[in-house]
Amino acid sequence: MARRFHRTRRGLRAHLDDVERDLLTRLFDDVATMLGGDDADAPGAEPAEVDPLVRLVGLDLDSGRTPLPPEDPALARLLPDAHPGDAAASGEFRRYTESGLRDRKRDGLRRAAATLRRDGPLVLDDAEAAAWLVALTDVRLVLAERLGVRDDDDATLLHHSVAALPPDDPRGWLAAVYELLTWLQETLVESLLPG
Amino acid sequence: MTAPVEEVEADVEEGSAVLPGTPWVTLVWNDPVNLMSYVTYVFQTYFAYPREKAEKLMRDVHTVGRAVVSSGTREEMERDTEAMHGFGLWATLSRQG
Repeated sequence: MARRFHRTRRGLRAHLDDVERDLLTRLFDDVATMLGGDDADAPGAEPAEVDPLVRLVGLDLDSGRTPLPPEDPALARLLPDAHPGDAAASGEFRRYTESGLRDRKRDGLRRAAATLRRDGPLVLDDAEAAAWLVALTDVRLVLAERLGVRDDDDATLLHHSVAALPPDDPRGWLAAVYELLTWLQETLVESLLPG
Repeated sequence: MTAPVEEVEADVEEGSAVLPGTPWVTLVWNDPVNLMSYVTYVFQTYFAYPREKAEKLMRDVHTVGRAVVSSGTREEMERDTEAMHGFGLWATLSRQG
């Protein structure tokens, strides 16, 4: 059973049991894989189709097409339009930022997953904790999209309906995972907030 | 050929605090996922805003639905918007006014 994050002299510490550790590791890895890119080692990673030079500089200047938002609504939430209602300006922003954003998000998720693979209790230094906060956010954004949570009313409804769902409804499981991540993130951010 | 459209700042008084050039703003929008404490944390750590200011902006996002979190040149606001996306916040930029 999970116990909250709290600050100790050695860092930010929480307790997660083996099942919870495995679950979180998988979620961090899955969202990292969703973001695509060049980690060929990752299970289920898509083959890299991106020009290595493009990946190196993070820009796709050759492509004449205006980059579009990702088709998967969960990915589109992680990489939103910067100029809503202006596809050209949003595309231009994407051309210069999306590759780097995907890389940074993926690195953070992998970094958070790596802390869960260490032996011993879960203890994070401040940089790892910062990576965890963003990783938890990205996973929660994806789960919320899959659960159809798109406004505050949906979120409240979800919170109150978890217990009422039949045990074989996969949404119940997903919602319970979402609530666990929310609680973990709340305890971590409370331990980190500067005065 | 089309000449770039430039807005003329004719009435900027000498010594005024208004900088020449139309400032842009970064907006953060409410979403049902991000925690109020996390949004405050992001405003404090990225913008180095004091706690009270970060909390006020967070409450504006939550109750009004959006808040202007920074202003400056277009390039600066692009940087801030990209950073907010990095944190998982729903941010956009636009010309002020």
